[in-house]
Amino acid sequence: MTDDLALHPRDVRFDWSDVPLHWVPGDPLTTHALNTLHLVLPEGERWFVQVFGQALPHIRDPRLREQVLGFIGQEAMHAKAHDGAAAHLAALGIDPAPFVAQIEWLFRTLLGDRQGSAAVRHQWLLERLSVIAAIEHFTAVLGQWVLDADALEGADPTMLDLLRWHGAEEVEHRSVAYDLYMHLDGRRFRRIRTMVVVAPVLAWLFVRSTRWLMANDPSRPGAPRWRDYLRAARAGRLPRPGQLLPAVWRYLPRGYHPSQEGDTAQAVAYLAASPAAKAAL
Amino acid sequence: MSRPPADLYGRQRADRMFRALVPVVGAFRRASERGARRQPPVRAVDRDLRVVVRSSSVEADGVVAVTLADPGGAPLPGWRPGCHLDVVLPSGLVRQYSLCGDPADRRTYRIAVRSVGAGSAEAHALTAGTPLVVRGPRNAFPFVGPGPYLFIAGGIGITPILPMVHAARGSDWRLVYTGRDRRSLPFLAELPTERVRVRTDDEHGVPTAADLLRDAPPGAAVYCCGPAPLIDLVKAAWPGRFHAERFAPPPVVGGRPFELQLGVGGPVVPVAADETALTALRRVRPDVAYSCRQGFCGTCRVRVLSGGPSEEDGMLVCVARADGGRVVLDV
Repeated sequence: MTDDLALHPRDVRFDWSDVPLHWVPGDPLTTHALNTLHLVLPEGERWFVQVFGQALPHIRDPRLREQVLGFIGQEAMHAKAHDGAAAHLAALGIDPAPFVAQIEWLFRTLLGDRQGSAAVRHQWLLERLSVIAAIEHFTAVLGQWVLDADALEGADPTMLDLLRWHGAEEVEHRSVAYDLYMHLDGRRFRRIRTMVVVAPVLAWLFVRSTRWLMANDPSRPGAPRWRDYLRAARAGRLPRPGQLLPAVWRYLPRGYHPSQEGDTAQAVAYLAASPAAKAAL
Repeated sequence: MSRPPADLYGRQRADRMFRALVPVVGAFRRASERGARRQPPVRAVDRDLRVVVRSSSVEADGVVAVTLADPGGAPLPGWRPGCHLDVVLPSGLVRQYSLCGDPADRRTYRIAVRSVGAGSAEAHALTAGTPLVVRGPRNAFPFVGPGPYLFIAGGIGITPILPMVHAARGSDWRLVYTGRDRRSLPFLAELPTERVRVRTDDEHGVPTAADLLRDAPPGAAVYCCGPAPLIDLVKAAWPGRFHAERFAPPPVVGGRPFELQLGVGGPVVPVAADETALTALRRVRPDVAYSCRQGFCGTCRVRVLSGGPSEEDGMLVCVARADGGRVVLDV
């Protein structure tokens, strides 16, 4: 039921004051692996908003335009919410600024606007739209995962609500970036070429940010170990390799469409129960 | 391109990951340029549905039901409970109305309109045979399982709820239908008598949350549609799953007309007292980015060169306005 859903941003607010440092109790590795989202997403999502804003004048499908406008607002609210969580990390003694500065450079400089002819700039826009479509494939997979992750029930309720509200909206709008790419370009080779780079880079970002957060954690939890990741994944507190790797292959076939990923009804049901989303209604 | 950022652990070299990404992104830049060859064209998609008014009938005090169909009798796009249509009225005004017919009937759409304001006056004047353009159906009030359900409808708010009530057959559900008096409540005859409680202000007084929620089956999801105070009342009192339709932003009241100028020496756009700066801006810049239209998401923020409310943070053109005069925007 993705096709007919009208997308709207929700005016959510979170009170971080009672969220502990290790908000997955006794599991600093899972805590920091998921804290990666606060460090990476705000810059990434602001970049989505900027790139989609540049795509708007090229859209020749009024329904897609409406969905893109809804998407932009949802992403802007995700960025704000994760910024709040990142500021709370700083209050707990982990200053995220050095890491965030790197992510800023990634999106603003490395993947920022280009100079050159209109044709060059337009192709760079299309290239970046295919990057966003590839990233949104993973955010939909991860969004569905966090809605399903019963093993996180013991985690701090505010943080879990942030992750699940965000995950539910990713599931709600999972088709928009792909549909936009298909509308403005659609070449499969470009889509595959992008995924080949996006998947390992995302994995690398998660690994390095987990390592860096653990190294800067004032409670000195020690370096992360793959063993601990596999244990957390087996327990269902993090996605298993067997859930992430097949997602890459699913993106590649000609018949791929994001509507095949995720469960909109489950996302809508979560948003009806989410304290933050309910308060924003 | 500037140098990659510093190492995270204080080593005297640029960060390894970002050093590695520079040539990769460089290769993508070159590859992307070659993409200009054989660029597929962007196909325009026409989303307008041309329909014709089949019938119009009075359903309650001040409420008219309008049935729409394809002019040639072809099947219409399918829809689910909670869906609405954008109806382009003969004057060009666009209004959203919930579909309140039977989703299994692919030949007709039914909407119901209560008379308030200019749009509904036009909708009430529609007669059989009038051609119309509609867009959608779109769902801003999706009906999802699992039950049980408590439906709460206030007056014309019954329109999206009615198809939900029919779709809920087979699960445990209740409907509380409220309004001024029975004559103001449309579709009473289409509701089953069991599981439905009609409570009107003239017989039972203004409802309290406890009264509205007392029929809720344990663990029910509440679906509520009606005036904003009704939704707020129920939302505040119900701890479980709560679904309500999101409303369009409130109309501009008490505003004063002012002007927008798009860049120094750029075109000047008048903003009427009863419209937002965004509405005016979109007349000349239809591709400007915006989203929430309520001032919270920040998407429509535009830098202000001079004039206007706050020059430092920029202007959220969806809600901010000037008290007369001219605001020069950096667009």
